[in-house]
Amino acid sequence: MPIEYIRSVLGIFGESPFKPVHTHAQKAVEAVHKLNMAVDAYCRGDYMTVETLNTEIFAIEYEADIIKQTIRKLIPSSIMLPVDSNDLLSFLRPQDSITDNAHHTAHWLTLRKMKLPLEIKEGLLELMERTIKTVDAYESTVDEIAKLLETSFSKKEIKRILKMIPIIEELEHEADIAKKQLQQKIFDHEDELGGTGVFYLISLVRDIGNISDSADTAADRLRTMILRR
Amino acid sequence: MDFFDPILLAVIVAGLYMAWNIGANDLANSMGTSVGSGALSIKQVIIIAGVLELVGAVFFGDKVTSRIAKGIVPIDEIIAIDPHLVVIGSLAAIVAAGFWITLATFYHMPVSTTHSIVGAVTGFGLVATIYIDSFTIDQIEWIVLGKIVISWLTSPLIGATLAFIIFTIIRIFLLARVDDPYNLEKKFIYLQILSACFVALAHGSNDVANAVGPISAALYAAGITSGTVIPEWVLAIGGIGIVIGLATWGWRVIETIGKNITELTPTRGFSAEFATALVVFFHSGISIPVSTTHTLVGAVVGVGLAGGIEAVDLSVIRKIVTSWIITVPVAALTSMIVFVILIEVL
Repeated sequence: MPIEYIRSVLGIFGESPFKPVHTHAQKAVEAVHKLNMAVDAYCRGDYMTVETLNTEIFAIEYEADIIKQTIRKLIPSSIMLPVDSNDLLSFLRPQDSITDNAHHTAHWLTLRKMKLPLEIKEGLLELMERTIKTVDAYESTVDEIAKLLETSFSKKEIKRILKMIPIIEELEHEADIAKKQLQQKIFDHEDELGGTGVFYLISLVRDIGNISDSADTAADRLRTMILRR
Repeated sequence: MDFFDPILLAVIVAGLYMAWNIGANDLANSMGTSVGSGALSIKQVIIIAGVLELVGAVFFGDKVTSRIAKGIVPIDEIIAIDPHLVVIGSLAAIVAAGFWITLATFYHMPVSTTHSIVGAVTGFGLVATIYIDSFTIDQIEWIVLGKIVISWLTSPLIGATLAFIIFTIIRIFLLARVDDPYNLEKKFIYLQILSACFVALAHGSNDVANAVGPISAALYAAGITSGTVIPEWVLAIGGIGIVIGLATWGWRVIETIGKNITELTPTRGFSAEFATALVVFFHSGISIPVSTTHTLVGAVVGVGLAGGIEAVDLSVIRKIVTSWIITVPVAALTSMIVFVILIEVL
C-alpha cells in the first residue's frame, strides 16, 4: 500500500443514498415473490419447500436490513440531498416493512401444517397475486426516481411519477378487497377449520394484507417526498 | 549574482517542488471531475491538462505571478537596500509554503497552495522589517492583501452562484424538455471536454504564480531578469513543474477521487467546471491569486443547491474554512523562522 499523498476537496461529493434505496426496494420484491412461492407450496402441502423458502426470505430480510443501515449512514446532517433527508428516511421505513412483513408471513407459514379447503386455497393465491402486483408496481415507481434525479426533478418527470402512485393505491385497494373476501370465506368454513385453524388463517391473511399496506404507505411517503422538495 | 548561485538554484528547486505539488494535487482535483463523469480518461486528462495548463501559465500567468512576486511586499524598496535579502526571503517563502503543503497533504487537509504562498510571502515582508530599519510594516501592501483575502471568501461564493445559474439554465431549457436525459448527458461530454480545457487554462493562469512568484522575485533581485514583465521562460518553469506533478503523481490522485465522484454527470460537471474556470480566469485578469479547488467546491455546492447532485457532503466546507484560517498565519510564521535561520547560517 503506497503512502496516500493526497490533498483532495472532492470529498464534497457524498455517496448517493438513492441507488441503495432502489436496491432495498428490489429486496422487497424478491422477498414477496418468494413468499408467493411459499404460499403456493403450503397450499400443495409441500412443507419442506415452505421451510426452505422461509430461510431464504429470512436471508433477504437480513440483507435489506443491512442496506437500510447503509442508507442511514449515508445521510448524516452534513449531507445535502435534492430532497428532504427526513422525508427520505420516513419513506424508507414502510419500504422496509414490506420485507419485514413478508418475512413474518413466511415464518407464520412454518408454524402450523393444515389442509386447506379449495375455496380458501384459491382465495390465498388470489390475495398473493394482487399483493405481488402492488409490490411490483411500487418497485417500478421507485426505479423511476433515477430519472427524476437525472433530470433534476423536471416537471414532466414529477408528473409521470405522481401518476404512477395512484396505480399502486388502486392495486392495494384490490388486494384489500381480496383480503376481506378471504376473511369472510374463512369464517364460512369455521366448522371445518376449527377455532385454531380460523385463528391461524385470519392471522396469516392479516400478515399478507400488511405487505401491500406497507407498499401503499411507502408510495404515499414517496409522493410527499417529491412534492415537499 | 549569476544564475548558478546556490541560493538562487535552491529557490528554483524549491519552486519546482511547489509546482510539482500543485500539479500532483490541485490540478488533479480540478481535472478529477471530468474523469468522474466519464467525459475523459485519465490519459486524455493528463494530455489536455498538460498542454492547457502550460498555455495558461505562460501566456496568462504573468499578472498573478507579478502580484505575488512584488505586489504584496514591495521588493523594489528592499532591493534598493539589500537585494540579497529578497533572494533569501524568496527562498524562505517558497520553502515555508512547500513544507506546509507537504505536511497538509500527508494529513489530507484541504489546504490551498495559494493561501500558503500568500501567507509565506507576507511572513517574509514582516520579518524584513526587523532586518531593515527603513522598511516598515505599513509599507507592506495591506490593502492588496485585504483584497486577496476577501476574494478567497467571495470566489467560492461567486463560483456557487454561477454554477447554480448555469445548471438551472441547463435544467429548465434542456433536461426538462428532452425525452431522453441520458442521451443529453452523452452530448454534454463534448462540452465538458471544453470546460475541462478551460479549467486547466484558468488554473495555469492563476496557480503557476504560487510556484514561480518567489522564483521571479529572486531572479529579479539577482539582476537576472529586469523590468516589470515576467519572462515567459520563468512562467514555463512553473508550468512544466505542474505538468510533471500531474503526470507523475496527479493521475493517482485523479484515480482515487474519480472513484468517489461517479454521481457527477456531464451536465453537472460542465456547470461546475465552467463556473470555476470563469471565476479563476477572471481573477487572473485582475491579478488576484485565488484557490481553484476552493472555487470548484463552491461551484459543486451551487450545482447541488440547484438540485443537480444526489449527495453533497458539506462537512468538507468546515474543513476548508479551518485549514484556511490556520494556513495564512502558519505559513507566515514558518516563512519568518526559515528566513531568520537562513540569514544566520548564510
